[in-house]
Amino acid sequence: MDRNSPPPPAAKKPLKAVDYFLYALVAGFIFYAIYRVNDVLVYHWNWSRVFGFVIRFDEETQSWVSNLLLQGLATTIRLAVWSTIFATLVGVVMGYWRTCENLTLRIISRCYVELIRNIPPVVFIFIFYFFVASQIFPAMCIDNISSKDPLVNNPVFTFMFGDPKLLSNFLAGMICLSLFEGAYITEIVRAGIQSTPKGQWEAARAIGLSHLNVLRDVILPQAIRKILPPLAGQFITLIKDSAIISLISIQELTFVATEVAATTTRVFETWILVGAIYFVLCYSFAVLFAHLEKLARRSHR
Amino acid sequence: MNFVKTLKPFLLAVLLVVVGSSTAWAGVLEDIQKRGSLRVGMSTFVPWAMRDKKGELIGFEIAVATKVAADIGVEVEFVPTAWSGIIPALIAKKFDVIIGGMSITPQRNLTVNFTTPYAHSGQQMAASTKLAGNFKTREDFNSSKVTIACRRGATPCKAAQNMFPKATVRRFDDDAQAFQEVVNGNAHAMISSAPKPRFWSDAYPDKVFLPFGEENLTRGDEAFALRKGDADALNFFSNWIIVNTSNGWLKETHDFWFQDQSAWKDMVAPK
Repeated sequence: MDRNSPPPPAAKKPLKAVDYFLYALVAGFIFYAIYRVNDVLVYHWNWSRVFGFVIRFDEETQSWVSNLLLQGLATTIRLAVWSTIFATLVGVVMGYWRTCENLTLRIISRCYVELIRNIPPVVFIFIFYFFVASQIFPAMCIDNISSKDPLVNNPVFTFMFGDPKLLSNFLAGMICLSLFEGAYITEIVRAGIQSTPKGQWEAARAIGLSHLNVLRDVILPQAIRKILPPLAGQFITLIKDSAIISLISIQELTFVATEVAATTTRVFETWILVGAIYFVLCYSFAVLFAHLEKLARRSHR
Repeated sequence: MNFVKTLKPFLLAVLLVVVGSSTAWAGVLEDIQKRGSLRVGMSTFVPWAMRDKKGELIGFEIAVATKVAADIGVEVEFVPTAWSGIIPALIAKKFDVIIGGMSITPQRNLTVNFTTPYAHSGQQMAASTKLAGNFKTREDFNSSKVTIACRRGATPCKAAQNMFPKATVRRFDDDAQAFQEVVNGNAHAMISSAPKPRFWSDAYPDKVFLPFGEENLTRGDEAFALRKGDADALNFFSNWIIVNTSNGWLKETHDFWFQDQSAWKDMVAPK
């Protein structure tokens, strides 16, 4: 057995009586809580209206079509995917700058990271939305893009960015999330680069590779393998954080849920359902990433 | 959120300066016509604006805004916005006008312009049969033992504090949560804009009643809100309201949505 192979898995221990007792205790507690909720909470549970906002049967076309909550979920997923892409770009550049020898680049990236990590997300989002976005977007003429322009009003664009009418709304949310999560990814990337031993740099430089080549061919491949697990965790955090931007009226799952709750007055049903949707979404990504990690580890060996 | 709240006037002041100084002035009406659409800021609030079965917006406000846009000759575009941030969003030019059942208050008027009122709502109270079933007068609710629920940052909370200074006021993010507290017996009463308390007491007749019947606690003046500094747009919208008050259209539409739910109940809920 060579020293690089993982240690053998620990032998599985059978469950003991005390374990079953604990299970019973937890189950008993849950049943008691449900019983108390039904007893204390005078509430006519009615899920049909809330489910109707997930998917509904259209009488005119005789088919099932998605309704508000499903559309909100689609926006959340779009937001998460695009924000991850941009946050990774920002994070890689800034993370590299954090480790640069150039003082100016180090100051810029350090300021960015510290500024965002030391402001509460909600406050950052308000400042960004009301000051920055409302100045940048008119300057870039994004607000003036007509929603009927064939450039934006086609199926491909709608699939990638959602309803063209909500484009500036979507972009504001996406940039906001990207900048916010980018700061955390910056730190992950920095840690990845710095965890590569200094000897690697020196050796690669010594055989005559340029600075860019060292980074691209030697450092980043090693760094990326190390940072993939925390990056996956950050992606799931990003999905959950996307709920905060409902405060600036980005039409994602949480925001449409507030509208559905206000319309139907079915507060509990709406939020329980939305919580379940978020759980399924995040947990499936967690399982997927764990699987990918396992594959990556195997292929590496 | 209190932190945000105390910062709000400051943020608004800076925003006014930044927006005011950096953009060349153009009339809102010209912008609307050039763009071909009227952007309306609103917040979901039964029966002012809500979602029907298909997820489309319907309601009194939606009808009003649609007619305003049709009279200008442009399309209408609704921008659903969280209520607590709706005034900053107007100032940040996320939309042209708030048609959102916003009551005129002097404080709000310092930051935005209001048209003449297009509706007069009032605050109505729904009370818990269990906790407040024997309460008769307003004085009964003005006691330190009484808890009154209301929606945060809205007129009802102020009304609750003014009329029932001794009572504990509990704030919630939306009316439905506030109302749920009454149904659950955690609050004696909740205050909200008419006719929501009535609709709710219809839905839970054995748990909730209206202690003062159809009589409203207060009378509000709801108006369109616009950014400051555009007298032309203000004049247009105000006169639109005057014309449509005189010809009876506003009252007719208001009655359709407010008198009872029978006219539109089928649109929002499956039979």
